[in-house]
Amino acid sequence: MKVTVHIWDLPLRLFHWLLVVSIAAAYITAKLGGELIDWHGRIGIFILGLLIFRIVWGFLGSTHARFVSFFPTIPRLVAYLKGRWQGVGHNPLGALSVFALLGVLAIQVGTGLFANDDIAYEGPLFGFIDKSLSDQLTGWHNTAFNFLLGLVVLHVIAIVFYRWAKKTNLVVPMLTGKKQVPKVLAETVISTRPSGVGALRLILSLIISCSVVWGVSGGISTLYPVDRYQQTAQATPGF
Amino acid sequence: MKKIALTVLLTASATAAISGPVEEQIRFRQSAYSFLGWNTGKIKKQVVDNPESFNKDYVAAAANAIAAVANSGLGELYGPGTDQGIGWKQTRLKPEFFQKKDEVTAAANKFNEAANGLAKVAAAGDKVAIKEAFGKVTESCKGCHDLVRIKE
Ligand code: HEC
Ligand code: HEM
Repeated sequence: MKVTVHIWDLPLRLFHWLLVVSIAAAYITAKLGGELIDWHGRIGIFILGLLIFRIVWGFLGSTHARFVSFFPTIPRLVAYLKGRWQGVGHNPLGALSVFALLGVLAIQVGTGLFANDDIAYEGPLFGFIDKSLSDQLTGWHNTAFNFLLGLVVLHVIAIVFYRWAKKTNLVVPMLTGKKQVPKVLAETVISTRPSGVGALRLILSLIISCSVVWGVSGGISTLYPVDRYQQTAQATPGF
Repeated sequence: MKKIALTVLLTASATAAISGPVEEQIRFRQSAYSFLGWNTGKIKKQVVDNPESFNKDYVAAAANAIAAVANSGLGELYGPGTDQGIGWKQTRLKPEFFQKKDEVTAAANKFNEAANGLAKVAAAGDKVAIKEAFGKVTESCKGCHDLVRIKE
């Protein structure tokens, strides 16, 4: 006998799909270049906001959003691989994928903030480091994307595998938040709605992520100006 | 004494080798591109990032500098063997450069057209037109980098 439970809360689902769209947009704008590189930077900073939100939500979110609830410990992984794991949220292997994705994304965004394109774009924190270090981080930024892409491909393959081999649809729950689970399991689950998402905790998470975005996209530079071209002329000098 | 003289001689010839024709070409083109980067940066500041600071003459001077570099015949600095060597630093020219002559010529021409177009509108001083022409220039820089420049 199966029953419906709420597993993914709305903020988590919004995070997920906004991330999908923004990563695609960041990729396209980076590849097309020209004026779009400015948009690449803006989208990247938006992704930073999403990432910070997800990290905070991993502590303040509803049951299955919390890192402790699905942290892939060795015993959990072993149990899963032996087919003995039982649960409703991320399974331990999926959890590994979540942490890997968040980690690589952090590197991608973190290096991007200091990157430059040698043409007419610099990440918002470029001014705090040397050009040579920025060039190195730009290299990492390019490399990191290959890892990110690899993880995304694995992620999608896993979803297809679950759909066809295990007859489990993982996409619909990420859209609706609801999942069909055996009744025995459902009884161990605290529904994430309505009590799961506390308005106060949501507001706190949003405040934290918006503050980081504000700081990175101008706040820090305003407080600690390091514009290295500040001294250059605003008008053509005499020679 | 003889030893010192020999050392001096060897060092001198080694230095001469470093600044041989290949290295010189690499050094000049790296200089040219750095200079381009300085000028695109100036235009970006006054036209895109902070339009209130727009100064027509300042932007026109930068645009003219870009066009002048574009029209100076940079192709001469891509002689055989210049995919290997140290100019100001190790070159980042891809060896495929020499197999992709047609594509490179197209990319370079695109840059030249965009640069001359920018110089023309910069002289007129219309900020909106300059911004658009500048976008074409930076796009052409990237087009060539994606084609022949080794990624960081
Ligand atoms: C015809 C192709 C081509 C075009 C067009 C081009 N570049 Fe480059 N650029 C290169 C290559 C090749 C290098 C690497 C040169 C080397 O290391 O030998 C380079 C290197 C550079 C560098 C690094 C210079 C250094 O060694 O420190 C900068 C900065 C740069 N380009 C900026 C620009 C800008 C700005 C534009 C457009 C206004 C532009 N480039 C247009 C091919 C091009
Ligand atoms: C704060 C966030 C970010 C900033 C400021 C930033 C900045 C930059 C810059 C300056 C470049 C040009 C590098 C070069 O030309 O060599 C670049 C390239 C790139 N960025 Fe980002 N980035 C950010 C976030 C991201 C994110 C989140 C992704 C992917 C999801 C991403 C994907 C890429 C890719 C794929 C390239 C390579 C483009 C190419 O091959 O031409 N960036 N980024």
